[in-house]
Amino acid sequence: MTRPRPVEDLLREFAPQVLGALVRRHGQFDACEDAVQEALLAAALRWPTEGVPDRPRAWLLTVAGRALVDAWRADSARRRREAITALDPADQPGAADDSTYGDRLDPGDADRDDTLGLLFLCCHPALSPPSQLALTLRAVGGLTTAEIAAGFLVPEATIAKRISRAKQRIRDAGARFELPAQPLPRGRLAVVMQVLYLMFNEGYTTSSGPALQRPDLTAEAIRLTRLLHRLLPDEAEVAGLLALMLLTDARRAARADATGRIVPLAEQQRELWDAAAIAEGQAILASTLGTGPIGQYQVQAAIAALHDEAPDARATDWPQILALYGVLTTVAPGPIVTLSRAVAVAHVHGPRAALDLLATLDSDERMTHTHRLEAVRAHLLEQTGDIVAARESYLQAAKMTANLPEQRYLELRAARLRQPARPPR
Amino acid sequence: MIMMFGGLGAATQDRSPEWVAGMHELMMKLDTELKESGECVASEALANPSQAKTVRFEGGAPVPTDGPFAEVKESLAGYWILEVDQDRALQIASQVVAYTEYPMEVRPIMDHSAQP
Repeated sequence: MTRPRPVEDLLREFAPQVLGALVRRHGQFDACEDAVQEALLAAALRWPTEGVPDRPRAWLLTVAGRALVDAWRADSARRRREAITALDPADQPGAADDSTYGDRLDPGDADRDDTLGLLFLCCHPALSPPSQLALTLRAVGGLTTAEIAAGFLVPEATIAKRISRAKQRIRDAGARFELPAQPLPRGRLAVVMQVLYLMFNEGYTTSSGPALQRPDLTAEAIRLTRLLHRLLPDEAEVAGLLALMLLTDARRAARADATGRIVPLAEQQRELWDAAAIAEGQAILASTLGTGPIGQYQVQAAIAALHDEAPDARATDWPQILALYGVLTTVAPGPIVTLSRAVAVAHVHGPRAALDLLATLDSDERMTHTHRLEAVRAHLLEQTGDIVAARESYLQAAKMTANLPEQRYLELRAARLRQPARPPR
Repeated sequence: MIMMFGGLGAATQDRSPEWVAGMHELMMKLDTELKESGECVASEALANPSQAKTVRFEGGAPVPTDGPFAEVKESLAGYWILEVDQDRALQIASQVVAYTEYPMEVRPIMDHSAQP
């Protein structure tokens, strides 16, 4: 995924609106999605040389509508009959400047609802998280299959199959495109936010591969979360999620050194942090906290903001962070929260208290396949001066991670403890 | 194809931090060079063998169990697939072995094209 040019930005903004309008009118998400991809491709080829049409959205709708009719014509006789009923000749899109669709598609509620409806459909609970991610990136994000494949470092054919299976599943599940009900179903909105958060994390700390982060995926997650926030400005958790992403991504430039090696938070050069992103995240958070029920994304954003506010690592307000982890443990308990809380406990009450808290995770099956428990334990053991045990933990964590820069970082930490720098207490 | 084996990990555990950092740098530099020169077709590092599972045929059905099939020190740890002649492949492997003092295997990949 390369940095999009202005035409691509425009296309990606229109992609969900055009697809939403088409699906709302004709149903058949999969056929409409193919048709919109064709229209986007045509625009990407023609607009840069011929100029952007006066009514770009109407243009895209017309071309996509034609592609849909062509696909139907090529299909079975039964499908053809449906197409003829669905598309009355008087209603057929004509010239590229046809205003039939454009007039109906006044910017406003229709776009808002179409895009929301699409997001809810792509994040359908019947789909696996990788399918939800791929489908959201293509249908709502307007990315090509090749761009998505590059983002996940997998062959294009894999993503193409994943998307077509996802569309098949949506059809099998009998899921229909529908305007989001009011009030919004909380469970479905939670899944949408989870998909966006997963997209962000996949880009921020890739679960596998040679690079520590893939900024294109995080940028896309932020763009889509911005969109969701614009559509649902009163949802406190959506605002919290956007603030969390901005406040976390702000540290990106400082997370690795020139050779690609990980730099831990405490050692990062804070002048490399993105001050504008931090300011924006803080502003969103300040205008959100207290306006709705507190949730995990708002609390995590508040924790990220406290880190970002500290001029240096020693100035970090750890007691406040520990208190926020206490809140997080009540709203969204889980082993990863306990792990992060242990780090805050170490700063406030010392490494031994933190090791006691970590011990409660030893029997947690959810932690058996992650290196994070061992990596945190290693750092804490090093702080207590138990060099031998710390080294064992670093080496164990290095064996468990599938991220190469993380593995190198852990191997190096272990190697530094080969000869104790200070005698064990 | 140049293959690295799991024993290398164990052999590096007792080295100094400078040595370990130097090895990481050598591997990253060589990998970048081979990709930039177009000689490298593919390269991957595999997760530690402790993360492996082996599927065995037991009691009339395939059964997955934890752990690698081979001894850890013989287990594949990573590879480069290069489009080079054998001399060049041996030269590249020698650069790494000169530093790590741990053996690597160099082997041709079968030709898929039908012979006339």
